[in-house]
Amino acid sequence: MSHAQTPHARRNHSATAHPDPEHAHTAHPATAEGDTPGVQTPGTSDDRRDAGLQRILRRETRSSRAGMAGLAAALVIAACVYALLESALRAIGQPPWLIDPQTAAERLTALPAGISPLLLGALGGVVAMVGLMFFLNAVLPGRKSRHLIEDPRAGVVVDDEVIASALARVARMSANVTQEQVMVVVSQRLVVVNVRPTSGVPLHEERILAAVEDELHRMAPSPMPSVRVNIATSGVIGA
Amino acid sequence: MNGTPHVLNRILIGILGLKLLAIGILLVLLATVPAVGTWWQGWSAGLWEHAKYLSEQTRIPGREESWLWVAAAAVLVVLIVLMVAWVSQQGKGRANLIVSEYDEAGTPGDVNIGGNLAEQALKHALADRTDLAGVTVATYEVNGRPGLRIRVQPRQGVSPHTLAADVSRLVEALDMVVGRKTPVLIHIGAGARTRFSRAERVR
Repeated sequence: MSHAQTPHARRNHSATAHPDPEHAHTAHPATAEGDTPGVQTPGTSDDRRDAGLQRILRRETRSSRAGMAGLAAALVIAACVYALLESALRAIGQPPWLIDPQTAAERLTALPAGISPLLLGALGGVVAMVGLMFFLNAVLPGRKSRHLIEDPRAGVVVDDEVIASALARVARMSANVTQEQVMVVVSQRLVVVNVRPTSGVPLHEERILAAVEDELHRMAPSPMPSVRVNIATSGVIGA
Repeated sequence: MNGTPHVLNRILIGILGLKLLAIGILLVLLATVPAVGTWWQGWSAGLWEHAKYLSEQTRIPGREESWLWVAAAAVLVVLIVLMVAWVSQQGKGRANLIVSEYDEAGTPGDVNIGGNLAEQALKHALADRTDLAGVTVATYEVNGRPGLRIRVQPRQGVSPHTLAADVSRLVEALDMVVGRKTPVLIHIGAGARTRFSRAERVR
């Protein structure tokens, strides 16, 4: 216990010891004694580290859209390469591969004519859908399904799936059912615990709720979701 | 944690999306509304005439072709190069050193500590934990300063806060060894390895 006590005490200190360098030094006795000479003195550099960490955490909870960027770039590159090919063929006086740029432009200016309206409409619809997909991907916040956990030393991000499986374990143990009978869905602000009882064994919803909420409070993810427990009306047999 | 340009990605993807959306809507309108068709024919024919006139004006002396073609080709090449540069920005930022600085307190000289030290130390410290399915540690450069990214994949049912506290304690021990506080990100994630492995029952 005493082993676990020391780091905890230090955590609490360093969490509150920002402005006062003296105080921060007492929080790290090893550094104050000077047996690790290269250690930074806390103060401005600590604040800068925190600012950097905040930025990292903000970036980690949002999608970087790297995949979409690659797709968009590939699309533009393909279009450019094709246009380059056709104009190069024209410049050196070779027959065009698919369509001559000049004929293409003339066809474009005459557009509703020369192509079936159904095909044109379908083509337009597909292009508009692709464009809408790119546009929404850029405009929507693109939040990843992750939560933050407070930690004095490091920034911690947790996938919602991990939170869900931890809460499912607690719910399973408090309801005394098997793993397959519990399903937990974690979203940004809501945790839904679905439990299917064993036939003939009544479940106490409050107990499950209390256990899950207790675990969630100890976990303290931010943003803190609220908990809802659903108990299925039909049970499973022989579980 | 890596140097992927989030804002640039959003802007460029948004521009491309808007353009495609506008083209698509125009095509649909051309196919469905006759009035748009007549407007389009008049407008684009005027534009095409103007382009033809321009290319007549800009003919290369002694040849049939206009130098506008060369200019257009150059613009396309530049666009391709820019796109390749954009793609190469994604996911960059891996670093090799966690500490690199000049120290004149003892013997003057540079002190470099490789990121491998932190990676191997943390991996080794977490290796014999049965509640973890995988640990990866990587060094990244954040705002020009090195930072550690620790990705742990716990088995199903492991409480993330206790795991985070354990890893954080290891990081504090590492601070003592290295003598420097680097920014650390602990990512407790789920993956295929955790999903299909057995649940952690006794903890």
